[in-house]
Amino acid sequence: MTITKAPTLPAAMAGDRFAPILAGLSRWRVPLSLLALCVLPWVLPSQALAVNVLIYGLVAVGYNLLFGYTGLLSFGHATFFGAGAYTTGMAISHFGANWFVAMVAGVFIAGLLALVMGALAIRTRGIYFAMVTLALSQLVYYTALQASSWTGGENGLRGFTVSQLDFPGFSVNLLDPVEKYYAIMVVVALALWFVSRILNSPFGAVIEAIRENETRARACGYNVERTKLVAFVLSGLLCGLAGTLSAMHLAIVPLDSLHYHTSGLMVMMTLLGGAGTFFGPFVGALAFLSMEDVFSLWTSHWQIIVGSIFIIFVLYLPRGIWGTLMALGRRP
Amino acid sequence: MTAPILSVRDVGKQFGGLVALKGVTADFHAGQITAIIGPNGAGKSTFFNILSGALRPTTGTMRFQGADMAGVPQHQYVHRGIARSYQITNIFPHLTAHENVRVAAQAFRSRFDIWTDRARLAEVSEKAAATLAAVGLADKAGTLARNLAHGQQRALEIAIALVADPVLLLLDEPTAGMGPEETREMVGLIEKLASSRTILLVEHKMKMILGLSDRVLVLHHGELLADGTPAEIQANPEVRRVYLGQSDGYA
Amino acid sequence: MTVGLIAMQLFSGLALGAILIMVALGLSIIFGMLGIVNFAHGALFMVGAYAGLYVASLTGSFWWGLLLAPLLIGAFGMLIERFLIRPLYGRSPDDPLLLTFGLGYVLVEAVRILFGTEGIPFSTPAELRGVVNLGFGVFPIYRLFVVGVVVAVLVLLWVGLEKTKFGLIVRAGAADPTIMRVLGVDIDRLWLVIFGIGVAITALGGVLAAPMRNINPEMGTLVLAEAFVVTVIGGMGSLGGAVVAGLLVGVAISMTSLFAPEMATIVMFALMAVILLVRPNGLYGRALPGQ
Repeated sequence: MTITKAPTLPAAMAGDRFAPILAGLSRWRVPLSLLALCVLPWVLPSQALAVNVLIYGLVAVGYNLLFGYTGLLSFGHATFFGAGAYTTGMAISHFGANWFVAMVAGVFIAGLLALVMGALAIRTRGIYFAMVTLALSQLVYYTALQASSWTGGENGLRGFTVSQLDFPGFSVNLLDPVEKYYAIMVVVALALWFVSRILNSPFGAVIEAIRENETRARACGYNVERTKLVAFVLSGLLCGLAGTLSAMHLAIVPLDSLHYHTSGLMVMMTLLGGAGTFFGPFVGALAFLSMEDVFSLWTSHWQIIVGSIFIIFVLYLPRGIWGTLMALGRRP
Repeated sequence: MTAPILSVRDVGKQFGGLVALKGVTADFHAGQITAIIGPNGAGKSTFFNILSGALRPTTGTMRFQGADMAGVPQHQYVHRGIARSYQITNIFPHLTAHENVRVAAQAFRSRFDIWTDRARLAEVSEKAAATLAAVGLADKAGTLARNLAHGQQRALEIAIALVADPVLLLLDEPTAGMGPEETREMVGLIEKLASSRTILLVEHKMKMILGLSDRVLVLHHGELLADGTPAEIQANPEVRRVYLGQSDGYA
Repeated sequence: MTVGLIAMQLFSGLALGAILIMVALGLSIIFGMLGIVNFAHGALFMVGAYAGLYVASLTGSFWWGLLLAPLLIGAFGMLIERFLIRPLYGRSPDDPLLLTFGLGYVLVEAVRILFGTEGIPFSTPAELRGVVNLGFGVFPIYRLFVVGVVVAVLVLLWVGLEKTKFGLIVRAGAADPTIMRVLGVDIDRLWLVIFGIGVAITALGGVLAAPMRNINPEMGTLVLAEAFVVTVIGGMGSLGGAVVAGLLVGVAISMTSLFAPEMATIVMFALMAVILLVRPNGLYGRALPGQ
């Protein structure tokens, strides 16, 4: 397994006693994430919650690549999640494809839509971006609503249960919650590894430079628009992958997967956890979904609590849970 | 007479009804330090923005190393050999000083790469480290750019432009906000840089300019008022009139 | 397909456009002057409708609802600006967007708690019921009324911006807030008032729309998207652009309803996508504040 190389520790921070811990966390981020995910179903109150954390954690990871690392606030990412889910479901139920082909198709279509949406949205300036991505994603939503013979319309897409994944030599029984969890976890782990490599790569440096100072990045010689588009597509592919996993997990695709409310969920989870950090998205998914679980026991109006918490975070803890912890750890 | 490295002909810029720059014509020769001076609003920033590709001129042409720069996208300017530092510090705040310069150096490794660990790009890192050392920031390599002192940020500002190893270096008020000691250091740095490249400099500190430059251009209300050696400019009556009463503390 | 039918649809489109203009105006005012994209816009529209309903049921008169609801919600908007948004100035321009998004979430749920999750019918006020014969067809009086109110609001805004001292300050402040501060203008109070006005106009749109749409906590969801579409097409910060775009979208939806009603909503978004291809900054886009 590839070990990501730690960024060189600055001499100025040597006196900081948390520095070695932070460096270690960064260096071993993929194995540590895996460890946490392996243990998750045994630590959380329910299997269902654990699977949701996996899936929405991946969604947030994909979203974070664009929002936290590149600095682009998109409100249209539900399109890629939903497209991944719907494509997988439709491939199985309408075309009789096997699960693997269906998933690949799901990721591919999500990437294609990201290419189109990105190409249209990135040409617009700054703050327009959020509005344009939201509006374009609603175009997809209403199209799916209308194309009900394909998508099931308001009732969502059903009838494509996959109960077993067959591999040469063994098979995974998706009806067993534990096997299903670990099967999904393997995919998420691979995706996390992929993301870690992207973040460490030269491309990863460029998107951060764009986030920090777009005009200077351009003056330094980077084709900023093209880089943003690549980041957008990569992010769309990851959210699409999460969508395919969601479809496999639920065996239905609700129409709401495509609605901007779902996009908003991604934004909230990423910010709550810590935008621009590696662990942040999963922390955020865990926090959000746990809050939903707990608060919905007290009241059906749990959203008002979560929404208020989100507002408080924007005002006072914009770095999110993990980001704030990291920032505190940097001070001696 | 060798061909000028940079040639602008009748360059002008209009923003709606406002004419920021009008009919500037000048040639710049390799290896020289040219200062561009003028009161606030004279058009210096606009001129620099055009030279660095951040703005398209509404009139006129610009030729660099013989090539017409019309239609060249801004991000290609540095690849052609023109780099620029900014008057208002324009760095990458949450990246370390080293990373600020390293990412600028990385731009010349033009492959699309989402897989290699960038710490493995040794030449890029070394180039960055060398440039940081050249501007005197070697010991601050690991500090976040936003945590650097003002003078250090100005040095970083220049390092980012410098690491591109440009043929033409545009420095926009490099000593902005600096005291006499730091200004002297910056002048020393600029003199050292000038030995291997052409430098255009926007500045307000008269004494510094007159001592440092080979040539001075004076802009006023968007037009080229005077163009000559420091001695010629100092003697020019119109320039004296424009600058009467306009000296800053270090002039 | 008679000329009369087409004319009716066109007129319908204008009336629909009037609502869309209303919806986009509140957003554009706040963006144009403050540089903030108000993601609570749809929720505030919905809250306006509920406020109108509440006042109308208390006083027994739609007219009181029409008058007071925007004022009440506008004042609420000022509270929002003062305590939730002002702390964010100087930070990333995304932050007010994120905050207002969360706020929208909270407002919708708050309304569900206060008024229940079911839709509430809001009947057209008696004076405005019925239809009038326009020559080429009959048209609901209420819709004509809505068009009238929107036109009045536009005129008031235009007069306010172009002809008053306050309007001059607003326009100057939008162009260069720093100079305004230097000149002694209380920018904080200015922005507070502008935010309030933007929210009040949005709430007015909600009250106007109430008799035409079922009042329910979700009614703002589509409104937010509609406002974005109109604003993006028209060009951010351009009030004139919002008007032109609103009419354009209204007519497009209306004409599409004639041939393929199920495509009507989709057409709005598709139109935006097409215009973005050729004009990335909208029809009348101008530089954003601070650029």
